[in-house]
Amino acid sequence: MAEKDKVYKCLNPVAVQIPVDTSPLAPRLSSLNGKTIHFSITGEPDITIPLEKRMKADYPNVNWTVKKTYGINPLTLSDEEMKTTDGVVLGVCW
Amino acid sequence: MLIDLADQVNMVEEWALAQGVPKIRYVHASRTLPGPEDVDNWIEPVFEALTQPLTEEEKGSGKWEPPQNRVLFEGTLDEGQTFYQQTKWIPSPVNAPLCVYTDGLPIIVPTEERVREMLTGTSHKPDELITYQSDGQSQRVERHIGIGEIREKGAAVPFQPSIWRRATVEQVAVNAVMAGCKSEHLPVVLAIAESGCGTSTTGNASQWVCISGPIAKEIGMNSGCGMLNPGSPAGMPIGRVYQLMAINLGGAVPGVTRMGSIGNPFNTGGTCFTENVDALPPGWKGMNEENGFSNEESVVMVMQGSDMLNNPHAPGVYRSLQKSGHGGIARNLDVKGVSGPHNFLEFYARAGLWAWREGSKTLILIPEMAQHLYEIGFKSKEEVYEWLWKRSFEPLGDYRLRGTNDFPTNGWMGIERTSGKHWKELDDDYMVSAGGDSPSDYCIIVGGGEEECSMILMGRRFGSNPIYSIDAWR
Repeated sequence: MAEKDKVYKCLNPVAVQIPVDTSPLAPRLSSLNGKTIHFSITGEPDITIPLEKRMKADYPNVNWTVKKTYGINPLTLSDEEMKTTDGVVLGVCW
Repeated sequence: MLIDLADQVNMVEEWALAQGVPKIRYVHASRTLPGPEDVDNWIEPVFEALTQPLTEEEKGSGKWEPPQNRVLFEGTLDEGQTFYQQTKWIPSPVNAPLCVYTDGLPIIVPTEERVREMLTGTSHKPDELITYQSDGQSQRVERHIGIGEIREKGAAVPFQPSIWRRATVEQVAVNAVMAGCKSEHLPVVLAIAESGCGTSTTGNASQWVCISGPIAKEIGMNSGCGMLNPGSPAGMPIGRVYQLMAINLGGAVPGVTRMGSIGNPFNTGGTCFTENVDALPPGWKGMNEENGFSNEESVVMVMQGSDMLNNPHAPGVYRSLQKSGHGGIARNLDVKGVSGPHNFLEFYARAGLWAWREGSKTLILIPEMAQHLYEIGFKSKEEVYEWLWKRSFEPLGDYRLRGTNDFPTNGWMGIERTSGKHWKELDDDYMVSAGGDSPSDYCIIVGGGEEECSMILMGRRFGSNPIYSIDAWR
């Protein structure tokens, strides 16, 4: 067989993706009033400052909790905080 | 729910899938509209995302497990070249075809035979996972994965942390073959793989690797004239394989997981270099010794840079400074007519070493200039680092005017290191470092030819530029 016609097995350079169990989204809230909604801020104050004001103004009967960082990794909720938080708005992701 | 920027939607969906919530709800904010107007556009969808009932798709669960075949292709070498150079259309913000398995250039087709030959360069088994070979806290700079996470010896290395892939020694060898490496380069390539081959997400970061130790001469690296130029049969493929590993092991795709708007030319073909250990002034340590290794140990520093300043001093301005105290630099330093050696770093500082970008620096100095620093009185690299760091201090009022300091100060909510106080408590005339958190964030690499010049790169910060043992992978 001519060298140019020889068939080779060629290997895969791609790494192995760890299998991921995919979860359904958490059930939605029937309404926001009376609930505890956490606003997790990751930078972008030009967006998040007016957003926080607007959310609190539109839904004054929501218990808004806020944690703020300028970095890309959001400040996490503690186990206790997770038990009493009904929903999360995370932004701005970058 | 989350709020992102529209051009980053591919990355958001990739991350969401890797975290197990592929159907996460999100709205797009604008890069350009003023905040209140922007919020008006999508505030209702934010509330709806929290309250509208889930669709059947959103209620679904399962397992994401992409198929993985060891043999990717069977055919002739020409057919293999065509196969491995296949492209895929990447939608906005790219809107162009990009190569799936390569950096855009032809590769050496990774046949089983070639990979088997490559694997003779290491004693590690082909099916062994790439794991950390040392505790990340044992080095001068803690090894951070992402920002703030430190990994331990024996833990599997996550490639491009957003996707959490794992790689084997054989898969690294496949990429090494593709890049054109030889088997003697493989320990270096494996040590580079130990870094996880990150590419940063939104910045135009470049990835450089610097080798220190005996292996540099063993494999024939160039530490002399043109050390960063093409031509080295070791430096070129080793630099290139970083990018191939980023693509294949890490899944780095522009517009999806690699979001630098413009990219960086140092990543084209990759950048790998070494120091000229024989040209170090007396008492100056090599990069290996600086980082807790002996001068007989071979290591690689994986550098995430972005900025680079090329300081040529032709025609003879630097020589005039040091020989007779004449020329522009001599006038700047007010040493007219006085023979050197003179501290040219003062000229760099006055000319704006930190002008375009705050933070520590990595300096690549030719041997002659390093020798001058020694003769001036810097008996170690550490003494230079200390000088540079202290020289970078400026009034807080000036520091506030810089371009990226909102991030390291955590929006001015953090603690300023030297005072221990909140940034917001400090007066404008309080002196703060514009040159990084500490002198140990600096780095000097001695190498190059004889024409007087230097290169200045971004230094270490956020735990970047960690060191990996090459010997651990022999």
